[in-house]
Amino acid sequence: MIIALQIALCLGTVVAQATLSAMLAINGIYPDLCLVLACLFGFFTNEYKGFLFGLMVGLFQDLLAPGGVGINMILKGLAGGLAGMTAHTISTVTTLAVIIVTLALSLGCGLASLIMAYPELDGPEAFRAISGILGPQGLYNSLLAAGFFWFTHTLRDSWGMVHFTQERR
Amino acid sequence: MPRPEHTSFPISTGFRRLLAGGLILFLLLLLFLPRQAQEWLGQMGEPMALILEGPLHGVAALQDSVSETWNHYIALQHVWEDNQRLKQKIQQLQGEQNLLREQAILAREFEKLSKYQATAPMTTLPARIIGRNVSNWYRAIVIDKGTRDGIQAEMGVITHAGVVGRVVRVNAITSIVLLLSDPNVAITGMIQTSRDEGIIQGTPQGTLQMKYLPPLSPVQVGDAVVTSGLTDDFPRGLHIGHIQQITKAATDLFQSGEITPIVDFSKLEGVLVITSFQPTISAESPPSEESEGMIPVLQHLP
Repeated sequence: MIIALQIALCLGTVVAQATLSAMLAINGIYPDLCLVLACLFGFFTNEYKGFLFGLMVGLFQDLLAPGGVGINMILKGLAGGLAGMTAHTISTVTTLAVIIVTLALSLGCGLASLIMAYPELDGPEAFRAISGILGPQGLYNSLLAAGFFWFTHTLRDSWGMVHFTQERR
Repeated sequence: MPRPEHTSFPISTGFRRLLAGGLILFLLLLLFLPRQAQEWLGQMGEPMALILEGPLHGVAALQDSVSETWNHYIALQHVWEDNQRLKQKIQQLQGEQNLLREQAILAREFEKLSKYQATAPMTTLPARIIGRNVSNWYRAIVIDKGTRDGIQAEMGVITHAGVVGRVVRVNAITSIVLLLSDPNVAITGMIQTSRDEGIIQGTPQGTLQMKYLPPLSPVQVGDAVVTSGLTDDFPRGLHIGHIQQITKAATDLFQSGEITPIVDFSKLEGVLVITSFQPTISAESPPSEESEGMIPVLQHLP
């Protein structure tokens, strides 16, 4: 049942990415909802589940993306796993930690995607892509993840749902 | 202790019986009195009636007020229910109206495509755009046609206005189309007036660039750029855009130009996938009615 829900969540996120991205775009910068979800899943569960969830959402994203199947799957899997590992390593996951880790993961994944998508990109174009797309997108992703994380924690605190967000490790 | 004697009615029992009997007799006599006497009695009773009127009116007013309040309350209940129902109905109708308006806009778009499809000298398949930009590093759209509909990779995608892009991945019921503004797409094009050919490719910024234009080409800003038909996915003469800027450094062997695309990629709703076409157009072939939908370049062919 839980796996079915997770698959549905992945599918829903990819569909939302494909259909709502234009509405979510700020100055032409789209958030990577799949990456945000993979990171959040890692933060809320553990590195293993984060990795598996990232693989799944990345696979669905790959099926609707022009690049070869595998790149998003690997990157999202790594992002989910690293987010889970971070949550495992630090004692308390705070909103600031979510911002920093998601920003770092977003920049890393974006850089890898950029190299895979445009292997012949020269220096000035790469710099333009990094400063004009990667950076703002990383910030957007991290703020989105932080917002969702904060919202979930507020819900948990106000409703007393202790086991809602973080599993016992 | 002796019980106190009851003193509330000091009248004796015999007198009370007499009084009751007299009263009954009086009432019976009233029935048999002549009408005039009854009227006199009525006049005698008027002051009594006046005394009663006040409380009667009061009670009646109170009754009316209660009744009115109750009826209004009940009516208000109905009004509230009606209001809620009407609000829901309005929302539903607004949704339907919006849907119809959207369908009308879509129908107009598809009508244009359909007209173009009927006249274009190639076989095309109309498709609806169901998603876009799943990944941040590609400018792509997802269309609702796939292998089941005969779509194959590398097929060209156009609208009635001009070139959109190329199919890069085909699933069973969907396909991924890489837009012309993506750097991974390159097609051959030519300047419509001077007939100079070059490669048209997207840039990371989302603009179109025409590379490898001959150094002596008299290309000018505003010149129309069309497909040259040298690649297998697009026939000759499809509109791509207009030259916006021409650049040539002193050390460059070729000129290059920036193109303003004729198609607004962000507002696409329907496209045509080119499934087959005649790759080369014979100059000797007589112009047919079908060729009217093409860009005029075809009519100017040598």
